[in-house]
Amino acid sequence: MGRDIISLDDITPNNIGVLQKINEVSLPTTYSEQWYKDSLASDQIVKLSFYSELPVGGIKAKSFNSSSTTNTYETTQQLQIKDQIPNAVYIESLAVLEAYRGLGIGSKLLEYAIEETKKRFVHEIILHAHVENQEVISWYEKRGFMKGSIVPEYYKAQGLKNPDAVVLTLKV
Amino acid sequence: MVVKKAAPIFANKEDSNFREALKLYDAKQYKKALKLVETNLKKNANHAESLALKGCANYQLGHKDEAEPYILKAVGKGPDNYLVNHLAGIYYRSVENYPEAAKWLKAANDNGSPNKPILRDLSFMQTQIRDYKNLKDSRQQFLEHQPGYRANWTAVAIAHHLNKDYASAVSTLTKIEGIIKDHLTDADAYEQSECVLYKNSIIAEAGDYAQALKVLDEDEDQIRDQLSFLEYKAKYLMLLGSKKEASLIYRTLLKRNPDNMHYYNLLEASLETLDKPIEFRLKLYERLASFYPRSDPPKFLPLTFVPASSPLFEAKAREYIIPQLTKGVPATFVNVKPLYKDQKKLKVIESIVVDFYNKEASESSNPTIKLWTTYFLAQHYLYLNNLTKASEHIDAALKHSPTLVELYIIKARILKHEGKILEASEVMDQGRKLDLQDRFINSKTTKYLLRANKVNEAIDCISLFTKLDEDAVNGCKDLHVMQCNWVLVESAEAYSRMYKDFEVKLEELRKAGPAEGEEESFKELENDLIENIEIYKGLSLKRFQAVVKIFKIFFNDQYDFHSYCMRRGTPRDYVETLKWEDKIHATPIYTRVLKGLSEFYFDIHESLATKKTEEEPVVIKKNNKKLKKLQAQATKKRAELISKVESEKEDADPLGAKLLQDLTNDKDIIERLFELFKPLIQEGSGLILTWETLYRIYLIQGKYVLALQAIKSLNKILNPYGSENKFKTIGKKVVELSETSKNDDNANAAIVKVIEKGLISAFPDFENGNILEVYTQ
Repeated sequence: MGRDIISLDDITPNNIGVLQKINEVSLPTTYSEQWYKDSLASDQIVKLSFYSELPVGGIKAKSFNSSSTTNTYETTQQLQIKDQIPNAVYIESLAVLEAYRGLGIGSKLLEYAIEETKKRFVHEIILHAHVENQEVISWYEKRGFMKGSIVPEYYKAQGLKNPDAVVLTLKV
Repeated sequence: MVVKKAAPIFANKEDSNFREALKLYDAKQYKKALKLVETNLKKNANHAESLALKGCANYQLGHKDEAEPYILKAVGKGPDNYLVNHLAGIYYRSVENYPEAAKWLKAANDNGSPNKPILRDLSFMQTQIRDYKNLKDSRQQFLEHQPGYRANWTAVAIAHHLNKDYASAVSTLTKIEGIIKDHLTDADAYEQSECVLYKNSIIAEAGDYAQALKVLDEDEDQIRDQLSFLEYKAKYLMLLGSKKEASLIYRTLLKRNPDNMHYYNLLEASLETLDKPIEFRLKLYERLASFYPRSDPPKFLPLTFVPASSPLFEAKAREYIIPQLTKGVPATFVNVKPLYKDQKKLKVIESIVVDFYNKEASESSNPTIKLWTTYFLAQHYLYLNNLTKASEHIDAALKHSPTLVELYIIKARILKHEGKILEASEVMDQGRKLDLQDRFINSKTTKYLLRANKVNEAIDCISLFTKLDEDAVNGCKDLHVMQCNWVLVESAEAYSRMYKDFEVKLEELRKAGPAEGEEESFKELENDLIENIEIYKGLSLKRFQAVVKIFKIFFNDQYDFHSYCMRRGTPRDYVETLKWEDKIHATPIYTRVLKGLSEFYFDIHESLATKKTEEEPVVIKKNNKKLKKLQAQATKKRAELISKVESEKEDADPLGAKLLQDLTNDKDIIERLFELFKPLIQEGSGLILTWETLYRIYLIQGKYVLALQAIKSLNKILNPYGSENKFKTIGKKVVELSETSKNDDNANAAIVKVIEKGLISAFPDFENGNILEVYTQ
């Protein structure tokens, strides 16, 4: 056999549209144009995943300080780490096209994020998940994430039905 | 006693002045040269040489309008003076008037000019204007002057070849080979190889394949281009009937390139298997496929000859298609499409793929297999023009994998076929955004945007791939420099649709008339529409003309090769190039331009003929402030538009307004159109457009005999292989020609009779008077 059927590749100014498309069709939440543009910054953890050379998934994460708790989805996405010392990595989006789930593509993206986290000498990965989305929560739990506090009305402006979010963390 | 031809001591002052001026001219000191000849002309206004030099110097100094009159005067005064002849030749060459240049350079030589390089220049002109008969002489004379260069020998051989004098061409080439044989260095090996092959191709062209084969074998060690060597040899052997030997060579060729479909056909021809039973031929291809497992033709070709009725076809087709779908070959459909000409094969393939789609593809753990199969079916139904089913499949595929660019292309194509041009361009653009560096989809999007009349967006889109000059807003200029004909033609057609839309709107507006109390805004609207019509009409004309200009450049570009190819020793490619140049005007993109232009020309001619006086746009009187503001706005808008559509820096006529004006004022507009179509009489004699247009031109010009010829030529094209279909368009033209010629008071009565007779003999139904009822197809 030649190469692995699943591979990861960088994001470039020319294929940002792909990440945008994947997120649009796979996630209930929306992201701003600026957010996508930020994904080109070098301090970001961003990758696209390919299945049989077809782009089908993507991850975007950034350095984060766990003390800077925010309580809405929008401010978290806009948050830039500036003066604070990063002590964690925050996963902003991780998505795989529906037809390509259950093939190990998401795990591969997560593995990449874990590797990158270790390289930054921080030991925690944080993310928010929609409380209603049991599928997603158990997907992360299966991979060692621990459920933390509930953030009420986190997704309010995104128009989700039950706008609460649960914080999930992983120690690495 | 030999007469010494030195400069006479007692040469008059003018001549010595002139010689001095000539030296200055050669040293590019045009101003000084001009001054000197002007003092000459003050003394003797009839000094022909000085007049000629003044013309040339004026041209070089940029006083282009003051060049030709002096040249004409000079050749009038001294038509036998070789210096004058030469200068006239030089002048006409610089203005790219090659027929005149050839005429005067030839005169210079005939009148005894000792300057031999004239002959070389002359031969370039003669080739450029395809005067092969005289070309032979000038190339020969120049060879006699400089026999030490192989290039000059090759040039003579080519001249003979172009005159179809094969024997002389071959003997010239053989002679120089003999002379040069012992002096060849490694550096000459390529030229030697090319010249040897050139010689060989001429022998074959003359029809003597046995001799060609013999010489080819003798020259084998001189030939570096092994591919040509093998292809020539195999061809000769086939033509001479030595098929067995030819087959061995085709096998060698296949080994070199097992993806060339041609070689497989030729191998079969040489093995004489084409008439053998299918099973026999299948075995051959199975063996070939095992030799070349990575090549497509041995797998594909059996599908072309196994009939759909044979169960073998189903098996073979499955074997061919399914692995491609499994592997995710994007071009699977394109690969099998040639088989679709056979309806039965199409049905078999359809059932194979549908079957696979319902079973294996849907059950596979690899989602891409289903995706590619759905993609295939979308294209399949699009081919069948079953747009509903095609849409269903492409929508399913897009839902499944919205990140695959190819899907958007097909989706857009389906929408286009549904007539939803605008939506099609939007879908294409969505696909483009997934991969901005994909040049293919970028071009497609550009084209679709142009089809949707969104010219500015289209140019912005393709500008991602053009060079952006400083302070340019888009790549429009670069597209002109890069001779991007397809964008220019599509733009021209888009502009043309746009101005016609505005014309319709204008007509509707005028029909409705101004509402009460709204006269002012009505006028404003009307003027606005008129202005838009003018702008887009001009732009359309301008873009069409840009392509005409580019094709002129294409044709003139061959000029450099008349010497370059001799020196580089590439006679075979050179002759190919000349042949290609001989038919560039029949290139589809160019005929599209001609079609667009002919509409323009005929429209203008008709509007002139009916003398419809266009109302002058009425200037609306407004209070000064408002008017000024409006004007400022209009100027700004115009400047913005110009920055977007300029075709070159400092474009003097960015909107084509002058072009349009000139055309409208041209009394001989139909003759201008004829000049555009003239090359097609030769190059595009097999095109409907050629004769349709020429017919109309001749009819307007009253050249009825030629019009009759055009109908006949058209009928011949519409009826290939001697079929006898009776087309409506022919019937109409027959009647039209007959009536027009009869009603033309200026027409010669004899000619009218000739036309009538000619029509009857070519179209016997015409005599019965019911041609319109018979010619209905």
